Amino acid sequence: MGAVSQRLFGVEWQGPVLLASGTCGYGEEYSDLIPLDDLGGLVTKAVSVEPREGNPPHRISETPGGMLNSIGLENVGLEAFVREKLPWLEENLDRARVLVNVVGNSVDEYAAVVAGLDDEDGFLGYEINVSCPNVEGGTMFGTDREALGRLVERLRGETDRPIVVKLTPNVPDIGAYARVCEEAGADGLSTINTFPGMLIDVDKRRPVIGNVNGGVSGPAILPMGVYLTWQAATATDLPIIGIGGIRSAEDALQYVLAGASLVQIGTALFVDPESAVGVTEGIEKYIEERDVGDLSELVGTVDVERPARVGLGYE
Amino acid sequence: MTATTATGGGSAEPIPLRENRATPRRHWAPVVRNREVAEATWWLEVDAPEIAAASRPGQFLMIGFGVENTGAPFIPRPFSVGWRSPEGVIGLLVRAFGAGTRRLGALDPGDDVLLLGPLGSAFRPEPGRPSLCVAGGVGLAPFLFLAPEFRDRGHEVRLLYGERTGARVFDPDLIRELTRGDVEIWTEDGEAGSRGLVVEGIDLSDDPILMGCGPTPMLQALARTAFEEEIPLQVSVEEHMGCGIGTCQGCVVPAAGGGWMKACTRGPVFEARELQWEL
Ligand SMILES: Cc1cc2nc3c(=O)[nH]c(=O)nc-3n(C[C@H](O)[C@H](O)[C@H](O)COP(=O)(O)OP(=O)(O)OC[C@H]3O[C@@H](n4cnc5c(N)ncnc54)[C@H](O)[C@@H]3O)c2cc1C
Ligand SMILES: Cc1cc2nc3c(=O)[nH]c(=O)nc-3n(C[C@H](O)[C@H](O)[C@H](O)COP(=O)(O)O)c2cc1C
Repeated sequence: MGAVSQRLFGVEWQGPVLLASGTCGYGEEYSDLIPLDDLGGLVTKAVSVEPREGNPPHRISETPGGMLNSIGLENVGLEAFVREKLPWLEENLDRARVLVNVVGNSVDEYAAVVAGLDDEDGFLGYEINVSCPNVEGGTMFGTDREALGRLVERLRGETDRPIVVKLTPNVPDIGAYARVCEEAGADGLSTINTFPGMLIDVDKRRPVIGNVNGGVSGPAILPMGVYLTWQAATATDLPIIGIGGIRSAEDALQYVLAGASLVQIGTALFVDPESAVGVTEGIEKYIEERDVGDLSELVGTVDVERPARVGLGYE
Repeated sequence: MTATTATGGGSAEPIPLRENRATPRRHWAPVVRNREVAEATWWLEVDAPEIAAASRPGQFLMIGFGVENTGAPFIPRPFSVGWRSPEGVIGLLVRAFGAGTRRLGALDPGDDVLLLGPLGSAFRPEPGRPSLCVAGGVGLAPFLFLAPEFRDRGHEVRLLYGERTGARVFDPDLIRELTRGDVEIWTEDGEAGSRGLVVEGIDLSDDPILMGCGPTPMLQALARTAFEEEIPLQVSVEEHMGCGIGTCQGCVVPAAGGGWMKACTRGPVFEARELQWEL
């Protein structure tokens, strides 16, 4: 066991870096470019019961230090995922762990995806994307504590595999949502999904994104992601996967110190597929240079108690 | 606006624009040369032998500056392979559009760029028929690469190139040198070549197939001609891209049968009949 490996969700993770949902397809696309099986793992593109066509273009645009996207959860659907995508993951990933990102418009739809996957091979557990409209309740699962609790409870009843709930940053008190997930039986949390945003083309006087608004990702959201991860970590005992704007080991370590055991890299993969490899190496180097025993000893150790002082020479 | 949609008939089954594609490579490459060749337009040469050797006309590269850079372009930008030398230098025709392209225009020899490529589908000749290539603006780029490659393989190529103004025209002598053939130029202001729209230069008397790359109105005009005259047409399309390899699903274009196709992996070169048109 190396310094960056950990036991979490009942299994061994060889490294802390995963590729984020929606940024690595179903794994295969990056297999020629980076040694996928050397990573901690990956999270698939969202899977819904039925295939989804997604939103009209433009679906993405750059914004300073990041990007705005509204893909519309385009995906092949449960059946094709099982038939065409899972076999590749099973065959090609041995040590890297796979979480399947799950979406739905109702509790039943989420449950149908989990039930439809649970007996298959090729993945460890689920990452539940709750940034979806709940057609029954008229809200988003991720911004409605009651709906969130019901969803997680129901999924807990469907599976013994790890359930990681991916929280939306779009709430006033993420700690409360984290506790709801914990009480409903979740095994972990992913913090965070994208922030809502909009860009306007001033020549055309129209939104740049076909769907009007989208989600902001990339380095621009790093401090918000770190803060929300810290808030969630202080509110629950669940293991956390930190996400948002990570492109270097230092970024990833901020999430770890804030309370994340694992991290995910999304947008930075587009900038450089090898960034995922570089982050892992950088974390190993940090641990070695500082003589920390292993990564788990760093998790959540940010020192916020030390009083801020104004005198010169304070260290 | 009344828009009629047309698919030009036919089915959207995959066609062999996508055969034998090389595995994309990611590596840093030094700029060898960069010069302004027309108004706000640069001919950028990068040294990337592996990618050059694997590229086919119509394919593109994602060009970026790595994760330590957060200024535009942060997300890499797509550019057609505009030419390659036997030594492995790739030529790119870059026109200032926003902050990202202006930064590429300002690159100096020795600066490094991060490349991912070659990516996407390629133009495909039809044996025995000339390829009539119609380029609008920097849509010229893939044809600078295509013309000599196709000619070397014994296919006839005719190149039509249009710009809005004469000041934007890429040096015709350099075009002839790079393509080892002739080029017919059209400008809307009449300051270079013939006055008018490049599609006015289309001559179908020698039974060509059509290939197009340029602004959407030009592609629409080509599609109208192709569907009316029942001539095969391949077009290279543009859409905002994130990853270039199909994972982000950002760069979709409308498919003839409904739904979307990714410009980065199904395209950028499509048979016109695979696409949904508003004509
Ligand atoms: C397959 C393909 C090949 C291309 N080949 C060439 C070429 O050979 N020469 C050339 O000059 N240009 C080419 N383009 C267009 C070029 O990629 C855009 O002009 C460039 O991305 C604009 O970036 P910017 O930062 O200057 O513009 P900005 O408007 O500041 O960019 C803002 C956002 O819009 C996106 N964007 C805007 N316009 C386009 C566009 N037309 N295509 C894709 N993304 C766009 C950018 O990527 C960015 O996310 C090609 C595009 C594609 C898809
Ligand atoms: C193009 C794109 C598609 C995404 N698709 C999904 C998705 O299907 N499910 C999901 O839970 N998150 C999705 N996300 C969010 C990312 O997984 C991640 O939470 C977010 O981008 C922040 O991380 P980053 O800054 O490293 O990109 C997507 C992000 C991007 C940029």
